[in-house]
Amino acid sequence: MLSVFTAFSIKLLIRRGGDSIFKKLKITGVLLILVCLISTVFSHNRPEITVLMKELKPGDQGKEVAQMQQRLKNWGYYRDDVNGIYDSSTFEAVKEYQRKNNMPVTGTAGFDTLLAMGMTSITVSNAVHAQGKGISDEQLLARAINGEARGEPYEGQVAVGAVILNRTRDSRFPKTIAGVIYQPGAFTAVSDGQINVPIDPESTVVKAARDALNGWDPTNGCLYYWNPATATSKWIWGRKIIKTIGKHHFGI
Amino acid sequence: MGIRNKLLDFKRRLSDRKMYSVVIVALAVVAGWGIYQYKTAADLRQELDNQYNRAFYDMLGYVDNVQMLLAKSLISASNTKTASIMQEAWRQANLAQTNLGQLPINPPTLEKTSKYLTQVGDFAYSLNNQNMKGKELSDKQYETLEKLYGYAVSLRDSLEQLQSDLGTGRLKWGELRKKGTSIFQRTSTKITGEQFENIDKTFQEYPTLIYDGPFSDHITNTKPKALTGDTVSVDQARERVIKFFGKDKVQNVTNTSKNDSEPFKTYSYTVTFKDRPEEETAVIDITQKGGHPYYMLYNRAVEKEVLNIDQAKAAGKKFLEEQGFKNMTDTYYLKEDNTATINYAYTQDGIVIYPDLIKVKVALDNGEILGFEAKGYLSSHTDRNIPEPSISEEEARSKISSKIKVYSSGLAIIPTEYKTELFTYEFKGKLNDKDFIVYINANTGEEEDILMIINTPNGVLTM
Repeated sequence: MLSVFTAFSIKLLIRRGGDSIFKKLKITGVLLILVCLISTVFSHNRPEITVLMKELKPGDQGKEVAQMQQRLKNWGYYRDDVNGIYDSSTFEAVKEYQRKNNMPVTGTAGFDTLLAMGMTSITVSNAVHAQGKGISDEQLLARAINGEARGEPYEGQVAVGAVILNRTRDSRFPKTIAGVIYQPGAFTAVSDGQINVPIDPESTVVKAARDALNGWDPTNGCLYYWNPATATSKWIWGRKIIKTIGKHHFGI
Repeated sequence: MGIRNKLLDFKRRLSDRKMYSVVIVALAVVAGWGIYQYKTAADLRQELDNQYNRAFYDMLGYVDNVQMLLAKSLISASNTKTASIMQEAWRQANLAQTNLGQLPINPPTLEKTSKYLTQVGDFAYSLNNQNMKGKELSDKQYETLEKLYGYAVSLRDSLEQLQSDLGTGRLKWGELRKKGTSIFQRTSTKITGEQFENIDKTFQEYPTLIYDGPFSDHITNTKPKALTGDTVSVDQARERVIKFFGKDKVQNVTNTSKNDSEPFKTYSYTVTFKDRPEEETAVIDITQKGGHPYYMLYNRAVEKEVLNIDQAKAAGKKFLEEQGFKNMTDTYYLKEDNTATINYAYTQDGIVIYPDLIKVKVALDNGEILGFEAKGYLSSHTDRNIPEPSISEEEARSKISSKIKVYSSGLAIIPTEYKTELFTYEFKGKLNDKDFIVYINANTGEEEDILMIINTPNGVLTM
């Protein structure tokens, strides 16, 4: 595929080719385009890079400012109401925070300051990103459900969460939620990295994860599920089907 | 211009010297990139293989230790020594099982092996508890230990065979991992997969284990106690569904399936409601025997919080009474997404019976019931004949640490992890501003459990 691209671009270039300076410029251009093309082709499988939050400065307003104020308030730097407006008291609070943490005291929350506050994973788009550290069971379960049963009815999402929890309580599987989810080959959403897809805030997967953790189990103790349309392994058909919810068969 | 001409034209222009250099540079860039990507991928593959090897060799070591510890337990004569051996066997078996779960082998391939390791650990743990109380091993337990030891030996032998295959490079983790379509990959996966299947076959004749632990075989097959009454038909169960939600609210009830898996055989229904959008449906399961509601989940978004937690608790209790669940007391709650999930336990003569548990999810905008789960209640509820406690409350109180300031006390029946019940005194108290619940056995005076209570804005957590 790449070689097709190469040949094509060069051909275009030659056809339009004028005097040599132009040619050289165009060659550089083509090479740049090539590199870009190649890198898009190769980077296709890489995880999405989180867009880092821009800096916050006096005069800014919005959710991010409110989040920062809340943090500063929790840590005792900020005393006023959390109102989402970067006003003078917020400015002072940021300065105090920077002073205490040995950072350049500017009063503007630049990238480094936001990083120190642990706020850089908030994206410009409104997708919710799990914080890197301390992903709770709930988050992990929600992301697994998201990867495995995004388009399924609500009950089917709770059911997928319940299967994961049922496994932690079964002697034939690992004992922890992380152990079950990351067991090699156990879930396709883990193998193909879909588990890392940011959770859509409109989606019900977090609610489904909570219901599963609170003990709701639509599958009545099932340990397996599969999509009859896409299941490839033969042994799965030997399992007894207990229930069908949405596209998935649930079984033991 | 025909394709042929185009190609000729292209060839002519290619012969231009400058164009050669462009092509060469472009190819070099592509080749360089390819090599870089290939190298990165190879490094990652190697790293992954190393992890799998680590898990495998760790597991081998732990299985080795389990086998050795079981052998020692067979010849140990002192209780305390056996207890400490058992404790170590429990730990090593758990570690072996954890590492087994890391291997890139499809879960069903090694499920019997995994079960064996879990049960060895679980069994060892229950023997450890027994030995600590000064009770010796019974002949039956000794026999079971001997059998488990035999399995440990054969498991270790098969793993050793695999180890030599790994060492000589006849077996590669990468082959197991790949699920490609090429014939070669398929055959090699089959070969290695089979080697693991052979290990699992060792446990075909593996005996049923009965002991005091959560993974004991008799625990996993207990019969629910509260499934009283005759078997009901699909239509009778449908009537129960309508009664559950209230006739005035229900628009349509559809039977979706009949589930015949033990221990709870049920009928499933999907319910839509009057004056609500089509997609806001509830699912509900009614048990085939007795027509008891078993589970309900209503997926409705709750936008605002109007009711406080006491009003929600009252709404839940009223609902339970209407459904025929009398004498239920709330014991715990959790607030999330403008709903409250409240646990209710049955009380008999003022004694809280925690195993008879029903969870109710109440919407905090209008008090509607959004969820119901009665597995605990249906599993364990029965008319209990509770004897008088053998020790007085004062005696029990003297057993707990004098540092705890007790502010409430009472009798309670609590569940154990192996689904038996204990009759206890429940003391709630404070120590250094932390709340604790201590359970003292009402017959023996032993301290059975200590829970720490963590108050969060969302609810009261016990740990």
